[in-house]
Amino acid sequence: MKDLPYELWEPVIGLEIHAQLNTRSKLFSPAPNHFGDEPNTNISFVCTGQPGALPVINKEAVRKAVQFGVAIGASISRFSTFDRKSYFYPDSPRNFQITQFENPLIRGGTVAADVEGQSKTFRVNRAHIEDDAGMLKHFTNFAGVDYNRAGAPLIEIVSEPCIHSPKEASSYAAAIRAILLYLDACDGNMEEGSLRMDANISVRPKGETALRPRVEIKNMNSFSFLEMAIEAEVSRQIALYITHPHRSPIELIPPGTYRWDAEAKQTVLMRAKESADDYRYFPEPDLAPLILSEEYIDSIRDALPELPHNRFKRYVSDLGLTEYAASVLINEKALSDYFEAANAIANNPRLLCNWITVEFTGRLKDKGQTLLSLGIPPEHVAKLVQMIDQGKITGRIAKDVADEMVAAPGTDPETIVKNNPDYQPLEDTGSIEPLVDQVLAENPQSVADFKAGRDKAFAFLVGQVMKLTRGKASPQVVNDLLKRKIR
Amino acid sequence: MKEMHRLSAVELRDAFLKGETTALAIANHYLKRIEAYGSSLGAFLKVLGPRVLLQAEALDKKRAQGKPLGKLAGVPVAIKDNMHIAGETTTCGSKFLENYKAPFDATAVRCLESEDALLIGKTNLDEFAMGSSNENSAYFPAHNPWNLKRVPGGSSGGSAAAVAARLALLATGSDTGGSIRQPASLCGVVGFKPTYGRVSRYGLVAFGSSLDQIGPFATTVADAALAMETMGRPCPHDSTCLDLPKEHYKLTRDLTDVKIGIPNRFLENLKPEVQKNFLDAVDILRALGARTVEVDLDVLKYSIAVYYILATAEASTNLARFDGVRYGVRSPSAKTLDQVYDLSRKDGFGREVKKRIMLGTYVLSAGFQDAYYKKAQKIRTLILEAFEKAYETCDAVVMPVATSGAFEAGAIHDPVEMYLQDIFTVPANLAGLPAISVPSGYDGEGMPLGIQIIGPQMCDVSVMSYAYAYEQATKWGRIPPAFLDGGAS
Repeated sequence: MKDLPYELWEPVIGLEIHAQLNTRSKLFSPAPNHFGDEPNTNISFVCTGQPGALPVINKEAVRKAVQFGVAIGASISRFSTFDRKSYFYPDSPRNFQITQFENPLIRGGTVAADVEGQSKTFRVNRAHIEDDAGMLKHFTNFAGVDYNRAGAPLIEIVSEPCIHSPKEASSYAAAIRAILLYLDACDGNMEEGSLRMDANISVRPKGETALRPRVEIKNMNSFSFLEMAIEAEVSRQIALYITHPHRSPIELIPPGTYRWDAEAKQTVLMRAKESADDYRYFPEPDLAPLILSEEYIDSIRDALPELPHNRFKRYVSDLGLTEYAASVLINEKALSDYFEAANAIANNPRLLCNWITVEFTGRLKDKGQTLLSLGIPPEHVAKLVQMIDQGKITGRIAKDVADEMVAAPGTDPETIVKNNPDYQPLEDTGSIEPLVDQVLAENPQSVADFKAGRDKAFAFLVGQVMKLTRGKASPQVVNDLLKRKIR
Repeated sequence: MKEMHRLSAVELRDAFLKGETTALAIANHYLKRIEAYGSSLGAFLKVLGPRVLLQAEALDKKRAQGKPLGKLAGVPVAIKDNMHIAGETTTCGSKFLENYKAPFDATAVRCLESEDALLIGKTNLDEFAMGSSNENSAYFPAHNPWNLKRVPGGSSGGSAAAVAARLALLATGSDTGGSIRQPASLCGVVGFKPTYGRVSRYGLVAFGSSLDQIGPFATTVADAALAMETMGRPCPHDSTCLDLPKEHYKLTRDLTDVKIGIPNRFLENLKPEVQKNFLDAVDILRALGARTVEVDLDVLKYSIAVYYILATAEASTNLARFDGVRYGVRSPSAKTLDQVYDLSRKDGFGREVKKRIMLGTYVLSAGFQDAYYKKAQKIRTLILEAFEKAYETCDAVVMPVATSGAFEAGAIHDPVEMYLQDIFTVPANLAGLPAISVPSGYDGEGMPLGIQIIGPQMCDVSVMSYAYAYEQATKWGRIPPAFLDGGAS
C-alpha cells in the first residue's frame, strides 16, 4: 500500500454524518429519547408504526437543529418540508422514514477544523431532520427488533465533496461533533451510536477536475475507523487505476455500498448499486410544512454559546497554547470546560494544558477513565500546577503527587504535599551546597564547557544535582548556587 | 314518545334527558334491532353488546346522580371499523387486521364518548376504505336497506346502511373520495364531509392522508350538526387538524341572497333521472331565496385521474406498515423475512387493496413520478384554484352526489367504471372542502338520490345550514319500509 504513488492522486471525499439530537422525547412522539434501557420500553403508538397513529413534530428537536445551522453559518429555511422515504426493513416501523428531501431545514454553512496543526474550512451542503430506525438484535434461532431508538431525532449533515484525506475527514467529523457538544444538541457518544458517519469516496489524478465513480462506506461510529476505512478504500481505488490504466473508471469502480470490517481492516461490499434504490420520496401528508419566523431564528443565533472554533482561536492567540494542544482540548467539550475551570485558578495555561492533556490523560488512559469520570475536581489540578509554578514543588515531585491524586481522587494536592516530608522541596542552601560542590568536582569538563558558553552543560549540571536530591531540590536554589560557584 | 328508532338523535337525546326513557332501554332497543336486521344487512362487523350495556348502565347512574350530561347522551352511535375504540378490534374490513386490538381511542371516538354517546358497534366497510360499493369488505358485503340486492355504496357502506335502517342514529364515516357522501346518497341519509382538518384523524387508519376526513352519518341535518359540534375539535395528536375553536352550528331555513354555483358544463351527460332530480333540487333552493350562478369547474373532469394517483400514492406508503412484523396477521408459512413480507401481504390484503398499492407504488417510482404523481399534484392545485375562483361569485357549489341510485351488487365489473362513481365527490377531497349529501328524492326504482352542497374551506356551518334549509323544505328522508317496525318480533 505504501508503495502507491499517493502524491499523484487526490482522494475526493464527502461525509454524511447522522447525529442524534439529545432531546427529551422522540422526533414525532412523546416517547422518551433514551439509550440503553430494556428493549421496547421507550416506545409509543407512533414509533412502533401503529395504524392510526400520527407524527407530531418535536419543537425541541427543531430548535437544536436550527442551533446547529446558525452555528455553522448556514442559511436556515423559513419554510421546510418533510418527505416519506420508502423502504422495507423490520427496524423501520412504518416501512418509510420521515425525512426532509425536497426542502431541507439547513442549507450551506462552513465548519473550520484543525487538521494536523493547520486550520481548514469545510463546506456543508445541507442538513436536515429525520427520524432514526430501531435496532435488530440477532439471537441464535431468531431475530428481534428493539424500537427504543425508532423515532429518535437525527440531523443528517451532508458535506460537499471537499475533503481530501482521511485525516481531513476525521478532523471535520470531530469538529462537527464538537459543535454539537458545545450546543448541547447531541451527547456525542460514539460507542452508543449518537454520531454515525457515511463516507462517499472517489480518487482522481491530481489536476483532474471531473469526479470519478465513488463508493459509499456506511455507518462508521469511530473517527479511527473512519480514517482507516477511507485509507483502505483510497488505496484500493488507486491500486485499481494503476493496475488497469486502460480500463474505464466506471468499470473499475462500480458504484456500491460498502461497510468497514474493523477486524479484517478492509471495506466489504454490501450491495452493488445496479439494484438502484428507489425510495419513492414524496411529501409527508401527515405533517404541515415547518415554518419558522425570522425572529425565532435570530433569537437562537443571539443565544449561541461560545463555539469550539472560537475557543480554539482564543486558546491559541490569548492563552498561547499550541494549535495541537488547543485542538485536543476543544474537541472534548467536557475536557475543555474542565480546563477553563482550572485555568481560572492556575494562571499558567500552557503548563495546565500539559498536565490535563498529557500527564493526567496518560495516567488515566489505561484505566479507561478521565479526570471527570474519576472525580478529580479542576481546582485540584489547578493547585498542583500552581505549586509547580510557584516553585513549591518540582516537576518530579508533581508527578508523584499526580499519581496519588489518581490513586485517591478528591484528595487535595496541597494536603498530599503537606503530609509527605519527601515532597517538601529542599530550599535551604546549607543542605544543597555540599551536593553542588560534589557535582562541580566530579564534572570539570562540563564546568569548562559552560564557561565556554555551552548552555547545555549547565542544564546537565543542574540535572546532576537534582539527581542527588532525588528531585526534591528547588530548581531555583540549585540554579543560583551553581551560577555563583562557577563564576 | 314515538318508537325510539323513529326519533332523530336530538329527539332521542331530549327524551333521555327528560327521563322519558333510560339509556339501558335505548341500548337494548337498538341491540334488538341489530339482532333482527343486522345479519341480513351486513352493516356491522362487530356489535359491542356487553360494552354498550355497561356504558348505558353507567349513563343511567350518572343521570340519577344529577351529574351534567353530554350533548349525545343516550344516542346510539356506530363507528366505522377503521377507527379505534381502545381495546376493541379495528379490522378495517381486512383479514390482515382481524386480530388487531386498538391500543388507543381515535380522537373522534373519544369526543363522541365524552358527550355520552352509546357506542353500539363497528360497521362494515370496503377493505381499508377502498371501494364504492362495500363489495370489497374481506368479511361480507353490506346491503342497501332500500333493496338488499343493491349495494349501500362505499366505502362507509356499513355506517350508511346502519343509520338508514335505524340500527344506530348516528355513525361515523371516513371520506377520502366520497366514502361518506356517496353511501349516504345511496342509502337516503345525511352524510357530511367536513373541511380537511376539522375532525382529527388520530386513530383513523389512514388511506390517503391528505384526503381522509372523518364525518357523520345522520338521519337529519340537525343530527349531523350535533355530531359535528362534538367531533370538530382541535387535537394535539394530529398536525393537520385545524387549531380552531369548535363551531356552533346555527341552522336557518332561509336562503335569501345565498348564491349557489352550478357547474353546468361539468354536469353535462348526467343520467336523465339524476339530472331531473338535481334540477328539481336547484328549483327548491331558488324557491327558498337562493340565487344561482354558473361557475366554471371544467377542470374537475380530471378529478378521478388525479385522485386515483394521489390517493393510491399515499396509500401505498400508509399500508406499508402492514408487513406481518409487529401486528396483524403473519403468514404461518413464512420462513424468511422476505416471506414474512410477501406471504403476509399476499394473504392479508384483498385484490382491490393490492391493486391500489401497486398503482401507488408505480406512480411514485423513479422515472414515473414526474409523469404521474407530480403532474397530479399540479392539477390538484388547479382544482383548488378553480374552486377559489368559483367562490368569488358564489357561496356554495351544488351538484349531484352519485351518478345514479344504488346499483345491484356485482353489476359493475369494470374498475374504471367503479372509480367513476366518485366523479362528483372526489373534488371536495382534492380541495379539502366541506361537503354534504342530503336526500333529494328517489329514482324510478325507488332508490334514494342525494344532492351535494360544497362550500369554501372552513365554511362547514354554512354548508350545513344550506342543507338544513333544503331538508326542511323537502323532507325526503324516510325509514326504508322493511325497517319500519321495532324488530322485536
